[in-house]
Amino acid sequence: MPETSTVADAITYTPDTPLTAEEKAKLEPSQRGNDPLLHVEHLVKEFPVSSSIFRRNSKRAVHAVNDVSFDIYPEETFGLVGESGCGKSTTGRCLMRLINPTSGTVVFNGEDVSDMKGKELKNLRHDMQYVFQDPYASLNPRMTIGELISEPMYIHNEGGTPEQRIDTVRELLKVVGLNPEHINRYPHEFSGGQRQRIGIARAFALHPKLIICDEPVSALDVSIQAQVLNLLDELQQEFGTAYLFIAHDLSVVQHISDRVAVMYLGSICEMSDWRSLYAEPCHPYSQALLSAVPVADPDLQRSRERIILAGDPPSPIDPPSGCLFHTRCPIAQEICSQEKPELREIEPGHLCACHFAKPFPIEGSSIKL
Amino acid sequence: MAFGKKKSGEAVDPLANTPLNNIMDEVVDLKEQPIPEGHHLLEVDDLHMFFHTKDGVVKAVNGVSYTLDRGETLGVVGESGSGKSVTAMTIMGLIDMPPGKIEGGDVLYRGRSLLQMSEREMQNVRGNDIAMIFQDPMTALNPVYRVGDQIGEPLRIHRGYSKKDAVDRAAELLSMVGIPNAEQRVREYPHEFSGGMRQRAMIAMALACDPDILIADEPTTALDVTIQAQIIELMQEMQKQNGNAIIMITHDLGVVADIADKIMVMYAGNPVEFGTADDIFYNPIHPYTWGLMRSIPEQVTDEKKPLTPIKGNPPSLVTLPKGCSFSPRCPYATDLCRNQVPLTYTLPDGHYSKCHYALDPDFIKGRAPENSRTYAGGNPRVVVDEPAGAPVAGMAKQAPGTVTAVDGALAQHDTKAASAEEGEE
Ligand SMILES: Nc1ncnc2c1ncn2[C@@H]1O[C@H](COP(=O)(O)OP(=O)(O)O)[C@@H](O)[C@H]1O
Ligand SMILES: Nc1ncnc2c1ncn2[C@@H]1O[C@H](COP(=O)(O)OP(=O)(O)O)[C@@H](O)[C@H]1O
Ligand code: SF4
Ligand code: SF4
Ligand SMILES: [Mg+2]
Ligand SMILES: [Mg+2]
Repeated sequence: MPETSTVADAITYTPDTPLTAEEKAKLEPSQRGNDPLLHVEHLVKEFPVSSSIFRRNSKRAVHAVNDVSFDIYPEETFGLVGESGCGKSTTGRCLMRLINPTSGTVVFNGEDVSDMKGKELKNLRHDMQYVFQDPYASLNPRMTIGELISEPMYIHNEGGTPEQRIDTVRELLKVVGLNPEHINRYPHEFSGGQRQRIGIARAFALHPKLIICDEPVSALDVSIQAQVLNLLDELQQEFGTAYLFIAHDLSVVQHISDRVAVMYLGSICEMSDWRSLYAEPCHPYSQALLSAVPVADPDLQRSRERIILAGDPPSPIDPPSGCLFHTRCPIAQEICSQEKPELREIEPGHLCACHFAKPFPIEGSSIKL
Repeated sequence: MAFGKKKSGEAVDPLANTPLNNIMDEVVDLKEQPIPEGHHLLEVDDLHMFFHTKDGVVKAVNGVSYTLDRGETLGVVGESGSGKSVTAMTIMGLIDMPPGKIEGGDVLYRGRSLLQMSEREMQNVRGNDIAMIFQDPMTALNPVYRVGDQIGEPLRIHRGYSKKDAVDRAAELLSMVGIPNAEQRVREYPHEFSGGMRQRAMIAMALACDPDILIADEPTTALDVTIQAQIIELMQEMQKQNGNAIIMITHDLGVVADIADKIMVMYAGNPVEFGTADDIFYNPIHPYTWGLMRSIPEQVTDEKKPLTPIKGNPPSLVTLPKGCSFSPRCPYATDLCRNQVPLTYTLPDGHYSKCHYALDPDFIKGRAPENSRTYAGGNPRVVVDEPAGAPVAGMAKQAPGTVTAVDGALAQHDTKAASAEEGEE
């Protein structure tokens, strides 16, 4: 895999002398010199378009994920942010093989997941868990929350005797801030935020190494959202779990993530540690996205110059030529519709896919936080 | 006060003065009536509207008050179920009675009570004088009719336009709200529009009759941020042109910071705090408002600040807690709070709060969250003549986890509560 070395190795930190555990803990998870827990390379997912309005043997497809590469390190929170339909969930589902990628490599914990079958796949789903946006749709309404949370232990034949499993469930309920007495209640008896806690307790039942959190707080009110974000934070500290945190809300992603990738139309357009992305966005789309988020501070909001992007994102069935963003980019040049910009490293650990990448590329408009 | 004289001669509405406009002559065009002396464009006064259901009485609108003038934008914020939509629908006369019932208060539009109007009069008010747009435009757009016919409908109803004139005007309105190829687009059906375009079409429909008031119920909640920015800009531009008032209902404090002149914070069917945008963001005096602000991640590039959520969940509107309805979740609740419903305490500038300690500067100082103005150099939080920016003691500011006041502060506060009980009112 020589051609991807820039992407995969960009953040690897190689100290001259080995670090002590204490020194290591102070570094960002991606800089501790550990091997990545998850390695994604040239991931592609196309959904064939089967609508009758297209000719039957046409090759048209939804290009949902288009050559995506990134790494997630142990104990790290990696944020994946972008507008609806840009391919975030599809990426997450490919990683866990809930759907099969069209092409590309996914290596989890040193093992290639692409050809996993049966037992291997089961093991994968032991160490990698998924938390969904809508906890109600993802929790079987006929099962009590005790059954729901212990189900993974039954599937994987873990957790000891039934009594021990119940003890574990009670413990988990306590950890996520629910009343262990409610173990025999059904999901509909809980509020949205509480159901999300149930989903999280279930995801943690097997102490996975990675949890894909797919918009886990998007449906929640702010006060409840803050409870769940803090819970995820605490659980990560306690269990050292890594998260792939998918969301469309940039402030939430910034708050929880160590590193962030911005997606547009199935591709990553910028990726860096949370601080550089928010302090110095280098891709016009990231800059526009950041400037579009209204901040809860009227003074700041009035003084900010805003970039309003025109139009809607193009269809992933017919993605634009060259740079995927060129149809909406305020600084697009001729080359942009002809040549696809590579995701390249512009600063250590800061990658950007734009021919004209630089901090605040859209002139006359800098978002000062 | 400009009395909202309609600028109908402008390019915005070339047909407005044609004879077609007079077909509805038997109905008074309310927005042409002057606002009586001493009144505002819209006055909501201690409005109560409860649903009587088999599970009990849902106190969905429990004492809402505010005023609104032309050109102003009121932001209504609060968590889901706090009564934001139902309040707006009560004003619009869109609540089925029963199960709904007005339990008190009034709504005056240009000095006339909307609650006393006949359904026929209200039909004329809706769309013509007060228009509403919703979170999901698909619920308001009929999938089997062409977009142009639907946008033109209020013009036919309220202004007597012919079908063709209405569609032509619809095309103008569509292009005004930034939809390209409007002449072709009017012939399309709603499903052929993207989410952002549907919301634009809704705005075009709402603005067709040049209403006095535009009520927007979470118009951008289902949209992506770049599209949200487009829609907010569009609403602001339209307001600049037409001079209408806007009521913007949202759960997003960022959106109200962006657009609102005045803000009403709702909790459990009740406005717990009301004031100018500056009051609410830089001088909030209600603990629920503080809780909301501490719950949202701040955009920072130096040190991330931990969130401080509000503990627990909002109450059921059927069995409201005794006393202050926020007391089970309020970190500062006292026995007084748990037993007595707080009154509305109004500062001289109209900023009000429904908290027993709303007028107690010592209570507020040290408990209200920091904001960019206090960071920038200390701004007094409440109308008191005390040195500004004194460092805060008593509570662990920005501490992770749920806010719990330090014991000492609480104890001290308890004694104050006792004296407040005797002294106040
Ligand atoms: N099963 C599917 N069949 C066809 N198209 C799909 C399917 N799942 C997702 N898509 C399409 O793939 C694109 C990416 O979707 P998704 O990954 O869900 O986006 P996000 O999670 O970022 O909102 C969208 O255009 C969506 O319509
Ligand atoms: N027709 C109805 N009958 C009974 N209760 C209702 C009805 N409509 C709304 N409610 C209740 O009124 C309360 C306020 O709802 P709503 O105004 O929609 O909240 P918000 O818009 O702030 O999310 C909720 O508790 C809701 O369940
Ligand atoms: S490559 Fe061109 S079109 Fe693409 S983001 Fe950069 S400047 Fe814009
Ligand atoms: S009245 Fe008491 S419980 Fe209610 S908000 Fe004020 S301090 Fe909190
Ligand atoms: Mg998704
Ligand atoms: Mg609502």
